[in-house]
Amino acid sequence: MDVCNRSLETVRHSRNLGMEVLSAEEDGVRVRLPWREDLVGNPDTGVLHGGAIFAMMDQAGGMANSCRLYPNFEITPTIDFRVDHLHAPTPGKAVICHASCYRLTPNVTFVRLTTWEEGEEEGEPVATGLATYTRMKLDKNGRVVS
Amino acid sequence: MTDSLKALIEACRKGEANYQDLVDRVPYARFLGIELLVQGEELTFILPRNENNIGNPTLPALHGGAVAGFMEQAAIIFILLEMGEPKVPKTIDFTIDYLRAGLFRDTFAECRITRLGRRIANVHISAWQKRREEPITIARAHFLLSEENN
Repeated sequence: MDVCNRSLETVRHSRNLGMEVLSAEEDGVRVRLPWREDLVGNPDTGVLHGGAIFAMMDQAGGMANSCRLYPNFEITPTIDFRVDHLHAPTPGKAVICHASCYRLTPNVTFVRLTTWEEGEEEGEPVATGLATYTRMKLDKNGRVVS
Repeated sequence: MTDSLKALIEACRKGEANYQDLVDRVPYARFLGIELLVQGEELTFILPRNENNIGNPTLPALHGGAVAGFMEQAAIIFILLEMGEPKVPKTIDFTIDYLRAGLFRDTFAECRITRLGRRIANVHISAWQKRREEPITIARAHFLLSEENN
């Protein structure tokens, strides 16, 4: 979890969005995105922008890979990412994403993601996501080997 | 609410307002720093090189989420301008293919509406950095235009 929070610190865009890692285990990671006025998508309703939710889910997906691969470290560029917005989150409420790498092959990882409003984690999700990533292994100098 | 948005769109069409005002009314679009280039009736969206959108500090490369958010917002504005009765479209789903690394430089996007129905819009979005023919990402998205269930 510390590794995740430290790596998140270096990702400037995620830091700017105010993301935070709540938990990180082999089977998944939980990431929080606060509601903030400057992340609103529709100024008339105050609902968080789909793009901000997407950015959090993308970040969580990458970290779900890191958790599954830990203690090894690989770079996992995204191949494909789909987000379904099931309902609009309540303005003023933070959202929490749970991402889990449910299948790891030698070249590809498969990740499932679910996002809820904070405090509603037993209820209806606001968004679900599905993503695939390629695996790029690094040698001890941090160079890509395959 | 829609009245002010509708008035702004009409003013843009008449050349009495700047299309950039449409972008700037959205807080998240300002957060990313999205700009708009209008050539005749063609719209190109620009995500200027900005350190705040970096996702990989070593390359450096843009955050995949920043590029996706940029493309989603581009589609929303594009649809708004195509609608007879403008109402902010709601994203139903957004699917993106990452084809090349988004380097730390200006990014451009264009949209194509596959179908604009009464309730649903199907949109294709393509983003590039060096050349339009070499997209860094392509995306397909669906938007809900009307809540009226009839």
